[in-house]
Amino acid sequence: MPVVDHGVADLAPIAVAAPILGAALLMLLGRRVPRLALDVAALVVAAAEVALVADVFATSTSGRVVTWVAGWTPHKGYSVGIVLVNDPVGAGAALCAASLVFLALLYSAGYIDSVHGHFHCLMLLFLAGMVGMAMTGDLFDMFCFFELMGAAAYGLTGMKVEEESSLQGALNFGIVNSLGAYISLVGIGILFAHTGSLSLPILGRDLAHQRPDALIVAAFVLVLTGFLVRAAMVPFHFWLADAHAVAPAPVCALFSGVMAPLGAYAAFRIYWTVFAPVVPVGDVRRAFLVLGATTAVVGAIMTLGQRHVKRLLAYSTVAQLGLLLLALACLTSQGTAGALLDAAGHAGVKGALFLIAGVLLDLYGTMDEAELFGRAARHRVLGWLFVAGGLALAALPPFGTGLGEAVSAEAAVSLGYTWVPAVFVAVSAATGGAVLRVGARAFFGLGRRPVEEDGAPSSDEEPDVHLRRVPVSMTVPVVALLLAALATGVLPGARSAAERAGAYFVDHAGYVSQALTGAQAHMAVHARANWAALGVGLDVLSALLAVGIAAAACYGPRLPALLALQRRPMRILRAVHSGRVGDYVAWLMVGVAVLAGLVGLPLR
Amino acid sequence: MSRPLRLVVFAAGAGGTAALFLLAVLDMPPFGSRFHPYRNHSVPAALAHATANVVSSVNFDQRGMDTLAEESILFASVVVVATLLRKTDDEEWRKERRGRVLDSTLLMGWILLPYTLLLGFDVVAHGHLTPGGGFQGGVVLGTGIHLLYVAGRYDMLRRVRPIRPFEWGEAIGTGAFACLGVAGVLATGAFLANVVPHGTFGTLLSAGTVPILNGAVGVEVASGVVVLVSAFLDQAIGLETAPAGGGKGGRAGNGRDAEGGGNR
Repeated sequence: MPVVDHGVADLAPIAVAAPILGAALLMLLGRRVPRLALDVAALVVAAAEVALVADVFATSTSGRVVTWVAGWTPHKGYSVGIVLVNDPVGAGAALCAASLVFLALLYSAGYIDSVHGHFHCLMLLFLAGMVGMAMTGDLFDMFCFFELMGAAAYGLTGMKVEEESSLQGALNFGIVNSLGAYISLVGIGILFAHTGSLSLPILGRDLAHQRPDALIVAAFVLVLTGFLVRAAMVPFHFWLADAHAVAPAPVCALFSGVMAPLGAYAAFRIYWTVFAPVVPVGDVRRAFLVLGATTAVVGAIMTLGQRHVKRLLAYSTVAQLGLLLLALACLTSQGTAGALLDAAGHAGVKGALFLIAGVLLDLYGTMDEAELFGRAARHRVLGWLFVAGGLALAALPPFGTGLGEAVSAEAAVSLGYTWVPAVFVAVSAATGGAVLRVGARAFFGLGRRPVEEDGAPSSDEEPDVHLRRVPVSMTVPVVALLLAALATGVLPGARSAAERAGAYFVDHAGYVSQALTGAQAHMAVHARANWAALGVGLDVLSALLAVGIAAAACYGPRLPALLALQRRPMRILRAVHSGRVGDYVAWLMVGVAVLAGLVGLPLR
Repeated sequence: MSRPLRLVVFAAGAGGTAALFLLAVLDMPPFGSRFHPYRNHSVPAALAHATANVVSSVNFDQRGMDTLAEESILFASVVVVATLLRKTDDEEWRKERRGRVLDSTLLMGWILLPYTLLLGFDVVAHGHLTPGGGFQGGVVLGTGIHLLYVAGRYDMLRRVRPIRPFEWGEAIGTGAFACLGVAGVLATGAFLANVVPHGTFGTLLSAGTVPILNGAVGVEVASGVVVLVSAFLDQAIGLETAPAGGGKGGRAGNGRDAEGGGNR
């Protein structure tokens, strides 16, 4: 088969296997070598993985890299084997994952309890899952690596076994996500029975021009459910805050930065490759605009209502994932480009914020906003970094989050959805404002000391480690992540590159024909300046609103009358987020039915 | 949510999902039909590589990448269990020994032990020929060792079954699979390619890399099962929470919010 760059096509599966080999190695070394050697070995493996994936990514920017594993190239349009298809989005997601794991391991070096290398081993297996999922072009293979990612993630969540809440958070995470995965597996089974294939390009080709009957709709909804659970789409999102509240900070950075966005990646990868020619665009667009907006708004409201810093950041991730869904739901290359820039920027910003939150926990033994009031005043540099993160979350230019939201807003407006930019501004302002509020209180002691309200119990939590001063190995990843978020918005050509990547992502015909026949497809995209006036205006507006929200929280008068009006709906919303896994399961089933209704009923 | 409310919400969601599933099933090809594209392609592919057990050919040759992931899932799961069930500071080894084993149980255990281990090896070794393979045989091997526990005592099992070599076995089995994949790249340029001579169809030396990969998985699964069961046995029998006074937290619970926090 004519594959242009043979070398890189061969390299892609090695990039999937390398972290698995590294994990095996660390397990062998675990009890034999000192901690420093474990850290170094894990960092070397992660760095090698970054280099491998970067090579694949660099090649993919000038055309997809197709690899039929074990040489099972298609014969007369059919193959029994598994294909990896690296376009800039898939390889880029893998690169993001590998880089973030490297920084998380650097942050953990010497500090996080490694349990004889078990922690390092799980981090690398987690990475293998993410890379495999991002690179594969096979539905069942994607599911397998998705499960690998999940298995490692459940364990990483519950690392602090002395704490009961830690195990409970891991259990909620594991049960809800496993249930979602089983539902996906049912969908995969239906699709396989119907077509006799699991390969995304073959499925897409064979389903094209069929009628979107009940089987197709059911397969679409069921297959996507597991991935949308991981993407924390309302009402599948409940597990996310419970898991983030208890997982070690570097693990949270990975969960929010790449794991949850990868769920959205998988859902839309499957839509574009398999279902795009069958399920009408307008139908899918409407469903995900509704669900994305709901997710963003619920996430934003819950963010504002949190006092636990890691929970607050977790709900802001839910809000951000909602915005990501809104951008992807445009179902255009431009909307996808916006989502990519936003996801890349958000990975840096939220990663940095979680790592700083982790430092606070390790220094002061609490994640409660009121207890932290003014205590971190001597860590001014961290404080300013936290504020920068808050502003970036509020989409301040020139951060990548701002660029991503600007491009997404443009994409939505060009389709006539003028309400979408309003959601972007409001949600960014709310989440950014909540983070700025925490920063202003904890690091600068601004405003009044927050009072104990709602009878929220102040909890002393088990920190990841006990720190007296902040080591360089913890601050370097924070700075690197914020710089990466900045670079996403500043680097010339970032927007053009994202739009080209988006064009590859939504190109169903090109994906199928290149995977099955090797025909190279090249995407030409007009070079564009990163920033346009509309986007900058919206971004500045949301950043200003965020500062206003934070200032109002710190200094503003208490508004008993106004609050009293909001109290009841707020209490209901809080009550729904109960922490009970049985409730989560009930909502999960509702979510499947709602998604099926949104997609299926208009097609009748 | 209150319990009745939760049931109502669940019933509404599950009802909708069940309806969706039912409609899909009605559109599915009927059971036993002639439409089987994957079978039509995978059987000749298995025969071309001299693999008598087509299922093994699919698992280890045609779709070996899936199996690499699945084997890694098992590896990860066992590491997770060992991590979460590790001995904490407020736990200590139980001192007293209790219980008695019937002589007949002891006799059966000692008779069955070698037989089970032999069966396990057989299932792994013939995975490319007959139903079975590394996963199945590995489970037989891993559980077989625990006849020592059934027919003996827990502390005896702990003495004759050191856990470290099995931890290494897990890592080596997983690593070997990945290494064989990379060997495929070095030999032919294709990851997990079946690079070993295929041999004669139906004989022990056939199917190329399939029996080797089966062996790697067998080592991994057998070791993984031993580590897994030992972690659970330690928690169930071997460890007890230290008398109150020392340490905070503790897995047995100390009255803190058992629901993972909810919203604070």
